Amino acid sequence: MKKIVLSLTIALGFIVSAAEIPDRPEKLTFPKLKYEPPSGAEFRVQLKSGPVAFVVPNRELPLVSVSIRVRTGQYNEPKGKAGVAGMTGFLLGKGGTKTRTAEELEERLAFLAAGLSSSVGDTSGSVGVNTLSKDLDEGLVILREVLTAPRFQKSRFDLYKQKQLQGMKQRNDDSKNIERRELLRLAYGPKFFRNVIPTKASVESITVEDLRAFHQAWFHPDNFVVAVSGDFDRKTMVVKLEKLFAKWPFTGKAAVPVPTNKRFAKPGVYIVDKDVNQGRVDIMLPGIHRDHPDFYAVQVMNNILGGGGFTSRITNRVRSDEGLAYSAYSYMPGGTYYPLLFVAGYQSKSATVQYAAQIVLEEMRRITMEVVMDKEMVTAKSSYIQTFPETFETKGKVAATFADEEFTGRGARNPAHFKEFRAKFAAVTKADVQRVAKKYLTPDKVVILIVGNKDVILKGHPDHPVNLDSLAPGGLKDVPLRDPFTMQPLK
Amino acid sequence: MRILLGLFLFPALLVAQQVPVKEHFLANGMKVLLVERHDAPSISGGWVARVGSVNERPGITGIAHLFEHMMFKGTPTLGTKDYKKDLKIMADQERVRDLMRAEERKMRAMWRRGEITDLFDPEQKTKRWRALNDEFKKLVDAHRKVIVKNEFDRIYTSNGGSKMNAYTTYDHTAYFITVPSNKLELFMWMESGRLLEPVFREFYAERDVVFEERRMRTESTPLGKFSESFNSLFWESHPYGWPIIGWPSDIPAISKADADEFYATFYVPENLTLVLVGDFKSKEALTMAQKYFGRLKRGKKTVPDVITMEMPQKAEKRFYAEAETNPNVDIYWHTPAFGHKDTYALSVMSKILTGNTGRLKKELVLKSKLATDTFAWTRGMHYAGQFNAGGEVADGKDPAAVEAAIHAVVEKLKTEPVPAKELQKVKNNFAASEYRRLTSNHPILMQIIHTEGTGDWRELNTSGAKLQAVTPADIQRVAKKYFTKENRAVAIYTRKPGTGGGDENPLLADLSGQAKAMARKFISSVNSEKDVASLKGRLQQIEEQLEKAGSKAPPIMKVIRAALRKRIGELEK
Repeated sequence: MKKIVLSLTIALGFIVSAAEIPDRPEKLTFPKLKYEPPSGAEFRVQLKSGPVAFVVPNRELPLVSVSIRVRTGQYNEPKGKAGVAGMTGFLLGKGGTKTRTAEELEERLAFLAAGLSSSVGDTSGSVGVNTLSKDLDEGLVILREVLTAPRFQKSRFDLYKQKQLQGMKQRNDDSKNIERRELLRLAYGPKFFRNVIPTKASVESITVEDLRAFHQAWFHPDNFVVAVSGDFDRKTMVVKLEKLFAKWPFTGKAAVPVPTNKRFAKPGVYIVDKDVNQGRVDIMLPGIHRDHPDFYAVQVMNNILGGGGFTSRITNRVRSDEGLAYSAYSYMPGGTYYPLLFVAGYQSKSATVQYAAQIVLEEMRRITMEVVMDKEMVTAKSSYIQTFPETFETKGKVAATFADEEFTGRGARNPAHFKEFRAKFAAVTKADVQRVAKKYLTPDKVVILIVGNKDVILKGHPDHPVNLDSLAPGGLKDVPLRDPFTMQPLK
Repeated sequence: MRILLGLFLFPALLVAQQVPVKEHFLANGMKVLLVERHDAPSISGGWVARVGSVNERPGITGIAHLFEHMMFKGTPTLGTKDYKKDLKIMADQERVRDLMRAEERKMRAMWRRGEITDLFDPEQKTKRWRALNDEFKKLVDAHRKVIVKNEFDRIYTSNGGSKMNAYTTYDHTAYFITVPSNKLELFMWMESGRLLEPVFREFYAERDVVFEERRMRTESTPLGKFSESFNSLFWESHPYGWPIIGWPSDIPAISKADADEFYATFYVPENLTLVLVGDFKSKEALTMAQKYFGRLKRGKKTVPDVITMEMPQKAEKRFYAEAETNPNVDIYWHTPAFGHKDTYALSVMSKILTGNTGRLKKELVLKSKLATDTFAWTRGMHYAGQFNAGGEVADGKDPAAVEAAIHAVVEKLKTEPVPAKELQKVKNNFAASEYRRLTSNHPILMQIIHTEGTGDWRELNTSGAKLQAVTPADIQRVAKKYFTKENRAVAIYTRKPGTGGGDENPLLADLSGQAKAMARKFISSVNSEKDVASLKGRLQQIEEQLEKAGSKAPPIMKVIRAALRKRIGELEK
């Protein structure tokens, strides 16, 4: 009996719902969603001890995160000392402090289940601690010691060096690593600071004194921007931060601007011969700065072309139509300090590398010649406008996002950035999209990088003959593998 | 003083932090898990099917994953301009594909007889197959005219959907997305729609996509193909032994009929769990879930269980591979399945071994300096588990020494009780991670999906206390039970001669550019030679020539001699 009643309800439920459920999602109506982003000013604190901090309390969980961004980077490495920035960044947190050996420090942090991170990348450094709120004071004591009195313990210094040198041996093992390295060289030129990478000689020449010099030059409060979030009271936290940065034991140097002396390669098809059954391809052009007035139109254009995943043209044609790649995409992010790149890329079996390149180039041309569809505009714009609230999804993200604005200077230049973000995207027109496509997707400058089995790639596919010369002016250029220790060409 | 105090006060932390999941069931048996969080105006939602590669059989390996790809191809009203035509073309395609499959069967027979050498080479396909393929391509072109490309994705994206993705594991398949909080009903419409009546458009192009995925992940990476092979060595009888992405022979042989059957068997409401995390009201969400997902009909048969169990291993297994990698050691042990009482002690042990202050790093990296990196982890999957430890061998050290050192560290877990403070350190980290896992919607969703897909979401909230309860005696007992020689498989990777490391042969440094290139070519040909006798013949010749030339011998000859000696040594080892 019970059973019958149950199935009756289900049957009834089915009829009722089937009547109510529309056949197309456009027929659904949704409640309005109002969202206003937080304002950075609400959290910004100019500390007397030097740094600007963004202090965002969140009492939900007993955790606190303190993260410090440092105005330095790989661009500050002295000549011949490539690797010193990364090494300093790593060993700050992993090399002990004046009062504790590396082992003691690690053991204590592990016991407290606290995280201590430190690194220096190409255009910024970062040191942070994440603790349970009950351990915050101890965490801050450790953080100050790490920042002011790192030990750079010899045994850890030697171990890091050994790992670096051993790691170099793997530089030609994975085609993906070769691709990344050569892409940067073609995009910015071998002399640009990002391409001056550690060699055996540079790493061997680095001394503990070099680390100390790098650390003391840049790691001082005037070069810090701080992001703090978690389980604390704002006032108390500000007092703690003042104490953290007060009476710094050294003065250091003022931050210097990030260099912009890059050079884009001459057009051509650059190929690195590597015996794998899938070629990795990047079709490149010079990109833009994020403060450029074209930035918003460029994002929409790129999203339609290849940046929007399954809704974008390159993915549709190379992946869904032809099954030539698992991942086919384009990206054209705005650079913070200098214009970055446009890249359309994919990985395809050797025989179809050329054919897929032809399709991608066709799509790059088409978007300059034909006006895009309304449907595509809606999708592309929505992917920025409607997902915007996620920028501030957590309190940690609120603190980090505003700290980043402060760090890069955009917060001061354009405090309305987030307030205007959605309107700027909404204002992009189809004509804008075509205009920026014409302006930036210039076939005469195209540089194509291919890493894969040269012979099989050039042989192509019997069903899809492609004339390689048609792909880029400048023709085919061999790029040698590099000696992993010296970065000199292996010939 | 403060620090000392802190140390002893620590156990105050050990109050477990629960993930506040509410469990419900729809009338059709589908499970619904809800976690309300109102921090941001969005909802991370998804569902998990308790089916993975473990549910496949030889011949259709890879189908669970291929199926995951096919679930994005639309429904009767999504993805097509004309559903009738759409169906007709797909039926025509199947007819041609059946004929092609018959031809493929013939080609396999030809391959067995050696009449063709490569089943994947387009030039070795039979005439008939190629004619059929041309016919099929025409149908694909015709189909394109009625398909609305990736419409499923477009609807979500134009409504603010993000992080849309899916994944397949040995045990489960999961689909997820984040939508603005006012779009909950869209989520319900879309997800129930594709479960109710998925349409597998572009089935055959998608198989090529999966092949490219296989090339990308497994075949063109330095270790991919070897770890696939090692995994298959480790699992002897259990279906965990075949790769999730499928064997290359099977991926192109999977038919749409196979996919239909797979769907009817496993994508039934009693085998699915819907999970929502974020800014919604539970009551409304449940009503909506009943309205939309309530339409799914229970399966005709009980969802089958996997019956084949892993045979207890009889002897240690060993795997030696030369690869484009720095030398390293990788050891697996068989352990019990998800939820087994011994898995907690195993988890604790993995943390005692791994990490910055773990025993492996202390012993192998810092003390004996045999390795530059070490690791350990364990997991209980639905039907069985594994424990893994290993490391990268330091330059100039012997992989055998690294292996022995790992065994010694593991052995100590059996013979000596873990000191209280060390155990407490590990437990503190388990406890703290209960908070850290709760920071935002998407990661919470992913943990629930993963735990539910592997066994039961409740484990998220019950494992904490069980981990805290592990004693030094438990560790000794469990270590003795699983860390035995007969229960392990060891992989030793060494660098493939002639790859990496730049001019490893110091003799090369003396050569001119051209001679260097010649020498490299020669070394690489020597290194791929497997015939010792032939190598010895060449070595003898070179030695005679060197003797004749005396001090006038060009330096390249010494390089060649060294390469020959080295290779002969390797082969005779």
